[in-house]
Amino acid sequence: MPEFVGVFTTDRDLVVQVWDSAIARFTGIDRSHASGCALVSLVPDLQTRGLLKYFRRVLDEGVVEVLAPAFHHYLIPCPPGTPSTRFDKMQQRVTIAPLAEDGRVAGILVTIEDVTRRLDDERALADRLEAGSPLDPNLLIKSLDDQNWRVREEAIGQITRRAAPDGIEALLRSVRHNHRNFGLLNSALKVLRLVHVDVHAALVEFLRDKDEDLRIQAALALGDQDEPRAIPALIEALNDSSPNVVYHAIEALGKLRATDAAEQLLAFAESRDFFLGFPALGALAEIGNAQIAARLYPLLDDPMLREPAIQTLSRIGDETVVERLSQILNCNQAPAQVVAEALASIYDRFEEKHGEGEYISELCARSIRPEGIQRIVDALCEAAAASLRPLILVVGWVKSAAASRAAARYLGSPQVQDAVVDALVQHGHPIVDLLVEQLESEDLEVRGSAIAALGRIGDKRATRALARLLGRDEELAIPILGALSSIGDPAAVDSMFPLMATPDAAVRRAVVSALSTLASPAMLDRVIPLLDHDNPGVREAAVRICGYFGYPQCVDPVFRRSSDEDENVRRAAIEHLPFLDDPRTLDVLANALRRDVPSVRAAAAAAMGRLNSSQSIPYLLEALEDSDPWVRYFTARSLNCHGASEAASSLHRVADSDRFQQVRIAALEALSKIDAQQAASVARTLVTSEDSDLRQAAEDILMNRNGKV
Amino acid sequence: MNRTSDILGLPKGTDTLLRDLVHDRTGMFFDSTKMDMLTDKLSPLVVKRGFNSFLDYYYFLKYDEQSGPEWASVINAISVGETYFWREIDQVRALTQTILPHWLSSHPGETFRIWSAACASGEEPLTIAMALDEAGWFERASIEIHASDASSAALEKAAKGLYRERSFRSLSTERRAKYFFQDGPSTWRVQPALHSRVQYSLANLMNAGEIAGLASAEVIFCRNVFIYFSETAISRVVRYFSKFMPTPAYLFVGSSESLMRITAHFALEDIDNAFVYLKQPSAAGIDGVELQSGGLT
Repeated sequence: MPEFVGVFTTDRDLVVQVWDSAIARFTGIDRSHASGCALVSLVPDLQTRGLLKYFRRVLDEGVVEVLAPAFHHYLIPCPPGTPSTRFDKMQQRVTIAPLAEDGRVAGILVTIEDVTRRLDDERALADRLEAGSPLDPNLLIKSLDDQNWRVREEAIGQITRRAAPDGIEALLRSVRHNHRNFGLLNSALKVLRLVHVDVHAALVEFLRDKDEDLRIQAALALGDQDEPRAIPALIEALNDSSPNVVYHAIEALGKLRATDAAEQLLAFAESRDFFLGFPALGALAEIGNAQIAARLYPLLDDPMLREPAIQTLSRIGDETVVERLSQILNCNQAPAQVVAEALASIYDRFEEKHGEGEYISELCARSIRPEGIQRIVDALCEAAAASLRPLILVVGWVKSAAASRAAARYLGSPQVQDAVVDALVQHGHPIVDLLVEQLESEDLEVRGSAIAALGRIGDKRATRALARLLGRDEELAIPILGALSSIGDPAAVDSMFPLMATPDAAVRRAVVSALSTLASPAMLDRVIPLLDHDNPGVREAAVRICGYFGYPQCVDPVFRRSSDEDENVRRAAIEHLPFLDDPRTLDVLANALRRDVPSVRAAAAAAMGRLNSSQSIPYLLEALEDSDPWVRYFTARSLNCHGASEAASSLHRVADSDRFQQVRIAALEALSKIDAQQAASVARTLVTSEDSDLRQAAEDILMNRNGKV
Repeated sequence: MNRTSDILGLPKGTDTLLRDLVHDRTGMFFDSTKMDMLTDKLSPLVVKRGFNSFLDYYYFLKYDEQSGPEWASVINAISVGETYFWREIDQVRALTQTILPHWLSSHPGETFRIWSAACASGEEPLTIAMALDEAGWFERASIEIHASDASSAALEKAAKGLYRERSFRSLSTERRAKYFFQDGPSTWRVQPALHSRVQYSLANLMNAGEIAGLASAEVIFCRNVFIYFSETAISRVVRYFSKFMPTPAYLFVGSSESLMRITAHFALEDIDNAFVYLKQPSAAGIDGVELQSGGLT
């Protein structure tokens, strides 16, 4: 049988190291001559034909390059292996792959496949297709490289079921010849996988070879093939006389998740042979059969296999293993970190799959005794940052003062801050004093986490400390206000009022939100006079609180503020008028929409969308012509709310040609609600827009999925 | 009520639009687990701009003619300022003990430039300055230390040179006493002599024009930045570095960051037990795209 694939390798300097017999035969260059020669001396036109750069790229970047025969025809000029009517030179499909060594590219492996006959056949196939003749299935396998897309398309659907190209066996023989170069074998297999070649049968044959090294490599390779057909052969290899082969067969069975091998793998684990028991446990973890979990419990008493057994249980175990794992913590010399990681892993799995992580934490908390908690705490004190999370998670489940204190040390650690807060919140009311202590920390992060935890625990004992902090911690004012809102203690109200005067609009908004949460009629009596406060920030906040409640005594004062001298106060009042249900609202909004500054006009436009009455529509139509884009934007949004049919043509025009994309999008969305047909006609012109948002909005309308508001 | 967006009454939605826009402009990427963090950080800005939704704010950032200065606020809000003196010091030692003397031997009399590309509040460039001072390099060679950050707020802190206890967690008390003086019950101010060794400027790593001059340094420290960037953004920034850096040049990234899959323009080297990326001679002028995994040619 002729060899269709040849292999050669080079070092990093492109000096030939391996030159196999197939290459020697079809190039006519002897191995003795080629070995040690620079590739450029064997192929002198490598650079002038522009091919050298591909070799360089493989060496520099570690990528695989394929020189397609359609473009490059050949790497090494030589006659075809079999006579060809179309080609005087062998047509070569060349794959250039990096040879890896210690994570670096140590050289390259080149496979050269003679595809002359295939190309001949493809041309014939193409000719037949062009002529409309039925396909010859024998030609399909050879059609992948054809430049004619119809040929490729015909072939691609069936190629995966076909046998490997003829040259594979020759390549594997070459690999076998050089099998002690593991880099060569792995690279060759990588190349084969790249070209979708089935290497199964040959590898199974190698697995039974007399040579131990080759059996090892075959086992390794079969594990990487993602091919279940390899499982019986690998199970058979578990009886190999060489423990090294068995080791790699075990690993391969794990990678293939070979359920059928579970019993034999368990036997290796139970044998307490560390060399084979360790990979067997790893393989069982990959296979993931929860039913064998109890069989692993005896290994938890084995100092050598305890940790891998814990790790395997964490991978395969369900709730039934939690108690047993937790109990390990109660023993001397317990590997607390490993156990915590195992418990955290099961918890995460339950939480993700079933939303029932809490069930795992409860089971765990029931089984860990004080000495177990102390071991977790000790481990927490010594753990590196990357190992903290599982320990903190377990600390959250076991409620003890020592655990709380240990976790609190990490309140300022960015990597685990959220986990620490979660853990401490689970400890709840007993740790309020501890958290209040943390409010005095110099570290902003620590204070922030403590505030978050106190807010979530919701204990009124924290009110005073938080309220005190509110007056002096500007950076954390918003979270403190959030926490005080959550606690819901009216005693905090006094501390909030002074912040209405802050120049920071976001803090003022948080004050409004918190005071609105804690509001009482008595508090409103304090707020209403503030509508006339000298500080416009105070007036604005007061307007928002009064507007939020909309009590009768608030209505007139809020209306008064709609003509406040300060733009922000007017805007706040305008925003809230629609909620006051007062007959004056439309006139005030219309007046603001026509005459006020842009930000207030925009607020008025938005507010009109909240009115139940369609009387605002004429004003909105007018506002579509406003000079300010944000006024036009909110106007379009309000017309959307009203579904105003009389606005269709105006919206059409705005969607079509407004200078600002957000305005066009809002108009287009409004139009789609009013007149789907007209909107679709505009959308069709916008689906090719350069602006991604406008294009998306148009596509949404055409696909009838415009729900983005 | 823990989320700032909840406290401020901002409805959820359009998170991904905003996330992608921020990524495009700053390189910082917030995956799905960090979306709440992003919206929390931006919420105050939304309110301050007078908007009541993230969508409106997104449109403002993207389309409004006045959005330029707002981006500075966005960067200030989302920047991570968590750093400290003497952090990952092995790399700085590799600079002072091996890279610098090696470079000077082949470039006698020339100025050696160091750029701390994301200096936050200044701890990194000051650490470099301290190490160079201790090794006596400022007396023996012409050395410039440039430091930049995209956050103007961080640079303001760096310019003040005032630091709290947390910044000193890895610095010996002797060094603190030598290079800082107490300026408040729990604050320390950097000595003017050391402070003046560093030249600060505002620069967004995603903007080639802003970093072109800085990146012509022989050594770039860009540590603990790429952990917040997407692979695409890292690739872009590293491409700029390779384009502007001289040869030879050295790039330091954080210990948890790797460019191995990102670029071929730099090769990883171990110098004095510190990892450094050495610019490859062939990388000069390369303007192509990295991250290729092979192809049919």
